[in-house]
Amino acid sequence: MFNLNSWSIVLIATFIIFLVPIGFIFSSLFSGFSENFYHIYEYVLIEYSINSFILLLGTISIAVFFGVGTAYLVSNYKFFGKDFFEWGLLLPLAVPPYILAYVFTGIFDSYGSANNIIRDVFGLPNEYIFFPNLRNLTGAIIVFGFTLYPYVYLVSRVAFKNISGSLNDAARVLGQTRLNAFFKVQLPLIRPAIFAGIALVAMETLSDFGAVEHFAIPTFTTGIFRTWYGLYDLDTAMQLASILLLLIFIFIYFERASRSKIRYSNKSDAMSPKKEHILDFSKGIVCSIFCLVPVMIGFFLPVAELFNWLFQQNFEIDSKYLVSVSNTLMVSFAAAFIGCFLALITNFSARINKSKTQSNINVFLSLGYGIPGLILAVGITKFFTTVDDVLLVDFELFITGSMFGLIMAYIIKSYALPNNLISSGYNKFSVAMDESAEILGAPKRKILQKIHAPLLRPSIFAASLLVVSEIVKELPATLVLRPFNFDTLAVSAYIFASEERMFEAAPSALSIVLIGLIPIFFLNKLIRESKEL
Amino acid sequence: MKNLDKRFLLSLMSLLLANFILSSEVNIYTSRHYDADDELYEKFTKNTGIKVNIISGSGSALMERLKAEGKNSPGDVFFTVDAGNLSRFQKEGFLQAISSQKIKSIVPKELRGPNDEWVAIAKRARVVFYNPDKVSPEEIKNITYEDLASDKWRKRIAIRSSSNMYNQSLVASLISNNGIEETEAWAKRFVRNFARSPQGNDRAQILAVANGLADIAIANSYYIGVMLSGRGGQEQYEAAQRVRVAFPNQLNRGTHVNISGGGILKYAPNKSNAERFLEFLLSEEAQKHIVNNTFEYSVLNNVEPNSAIAQFGSFISDQTSVADFGKFNPDAVRLMDRVGWR
Repeated sequence: MFNLNSWSIVLIATFIIFLVPIGFIFSSLFSGFSENFYHIYEYVLIEYSINSFILLLGTISIAVFFGVGTAYLVSNYKFFGKDFFEWGLLLPLAVPPYILAYVFTGIFDSYGSANNIIRDVFGLPNEYIFFPNLRNLTGAIIVFGFTLYPYVYLVSRVAFKNISGSLNDAARVLGQTRLNAFFKVQLPLIRPAIFAGIALVAMETLSDFGAVEHFAIPTFTTGIFRTWYGLYDLDTAMQLASILLLLIFIFIYFERASRSKIRYSNKSDAMSPKKEHILDFSKGIVCSIFCLVPVMIGFFLPVAELFNWLFQQNFEIDSKYLVSVSNTLMVSFAAAFIGCFLALITNFSARINKSKTQSNINVFLSLGYGIPGLILAVGITKFFTTVDDVLLVDFELFITGSMFGLIMAYIIKSYALPNNLISSGYNKFSVAMDESAEILGAPKRKILQKIHAPLLRPSIFAASLLVVSEIVKELPATLVLRPFNFDTLAVSAYIFASEERMFEAAPSALSIVLIGLIPIFFLNKLIRESKEL
Repeated sequence: MKNLDKRFLLSLMSLLLANFILSSEVNIYTSRHYDADDELYEKFTKNTGIKVNIISGSGSALMERLKAEGKNSPGDVFFTVDAGNLSRFQKEGFLQAISSQKIKSIVPKELRGPNDEWVAIAKRARVVFYNPDKVSPEEIKNITYEDLASDKWRKRIAIRSSSNMYNQSLVASLISNNGIEETEAWAKRFVRNFARSPQGNDRAQILAVANGLADIAIANSYYIGVMLSGRGGQEQYEAAQRVRVAFPNQLNRGTHVNISGGGILKYAPNKSNAERFLEFLLSEEAQKHIVNNTFEYSVLNNVEPNSAIAQFGSFISDQTSVADFGKFNPDAVRLMDRVGWR
């Protein structure tokens, strides 16, 4: 049942604040369908759905293939470059899909760097084009797959590490090949982790706008924007957004349902140290190449091209650039701090109140991740102006157009990260511990402070850094909600790239990538220490 | 004499002070994001002491923000790149009439809103770029937008996605001139003439022609200026030299022209600053800056286009009311959906 106490009040308050903009979007479903909706239904909805579906399927395939594959190799074998790949495989996390999309067109277009180099080497005229066109679904799948697979890699890697070596040994002793042991023992054990990773990849793919727009692929998100901007019909756009949100909701539901069926049974004390199998030279090289491919495509290639652009213009650090760096850091850290705090309290509340309702509410709050930023921004703007109108009539405009809106959008959009990490952090230690503390007379606040918070510290730490790296990339909501004269790195990168002035986009784009690198260092630490969790 | 000096100084100071207290800033909502604009704002501040605050974003996003802000909106000026956007803002009642006689006297009637709710700041034409090696002079001579649907252009045309507002305005202008049915029949055949599925921005279309992926491209005039300026790098500069420009419909209604323009927002808290800002944008100084940096055409007759653009010659522009671009925009989008223009 729902226990009303000070902890659950935080949850309810968070729920309401999150719900208002989301509810505003869903309410569009009840306002009747316009002519435009039927037009979309008749002519383009099927295409949007098919494209989104293919995109999702392709992206998940790449993400699982490379994410799980590399995590398995790095966890079980010793081969050339393994120590690098262990953290190097996370590098593409720093590259947002839209920046990889910009880079891909910059390299592979008919007039791109790759074609130019080959033409220059062989002295060929401009009609010769060597690389296939990537401004299509295939290109988008590659872009999403290779920027988002680290989500799957990260969770799989931690999960592989937590599998007791004795399980694998038992399978081998019973005559299973390594491959069989992988498919029959390890894979089923890490399935919940893989699903959690897939859920993140899917939400990220479905709600992206920048990359699909750059490739001119009709999907749900581009359809939403087209309906709003071209048909001037925000209500229908929000109805499309609602459909998208429902899809994401179903996705999350299945993910949660399958996850709850599986119990983590590996206590660290039951774990025998896992021996890493040393591969012979040729097999080792194959493994190295397999691990190198995703890092190459998702990180080194774009960074090299961004540096190429940077050096093609005379870049000097001006105050405008520095201001956008500090703006970006300020808002993202503020959002990360508040988001983690809320996630900690709400998860704590659901746990101590043993409330299924509360955990379900928490799951629902993660939905914000899937809301296209621009639609979320509209919901927040309407919410804030209502508050301004009702509560602050006599004052100057107060919260509309202020930093609050921006930070709120960031928290709602990134809440899935702290929420997932903290709730799976909670899954790792038993409720019995709380009960013992309670029997011994500890008040709830003490349980949170002295037991949960220290145990969850790695999760909270990882979550806040993931939130920062996520927000640094966020674009559409920032464009709408930012206060006057408030440019972030993503905004200036977008402004240049939308004009295809790539050289000038390079400093901001590179900075986004560099800031995105910071969490990787800590995430790597998290992986290394995960055995001790 | 000394007294006069003192009094003059005093009045100047109080004027400056009043200026500082009463009219220290102007808040601009813009969907243009050119560096050249930032330099313009700096010039304006230097000339007048009025601080310029900027919010940029797409027209529709800004409109939602304004709608939500209502009477409390701090916005003074709306500045955008598409006439459709302007007329939409005017229709929705977001703009108030501009009272400045100066503006009315220098900008011709057809480049202002029906009741002077907005004013054009610069012009751009949607023209045909062609590869002279692949397109004969006879083929391109007297080209019209309507001709582009003819079978002789089968699989030869590069144009960007129909989600782009420049294409939406072009099709809206065709609807305004030829009606929906005729335009739809035209669009059906036009789409078959695409050399590739629509992708990239206008510059990418010009590059496609330069690289032989298509024979002709439809794109805005100023892109070639940017490319020829060398700002996009050596490759774009060379590509730009391989293409030529043709202005469609010169024997009838003229080439489709879109505008950049601005209006004063209804609840502008700094109205007089807003007018001064628009007047400044229409000054010779600002116009010359725009012409030489964004390569648009000036709305003033005495300001010549940048030489990179001027070399393609002068042309007759379509007089179709730009307000129709906004009016027919949703029809244009639905029509393009129906014919499968992605």
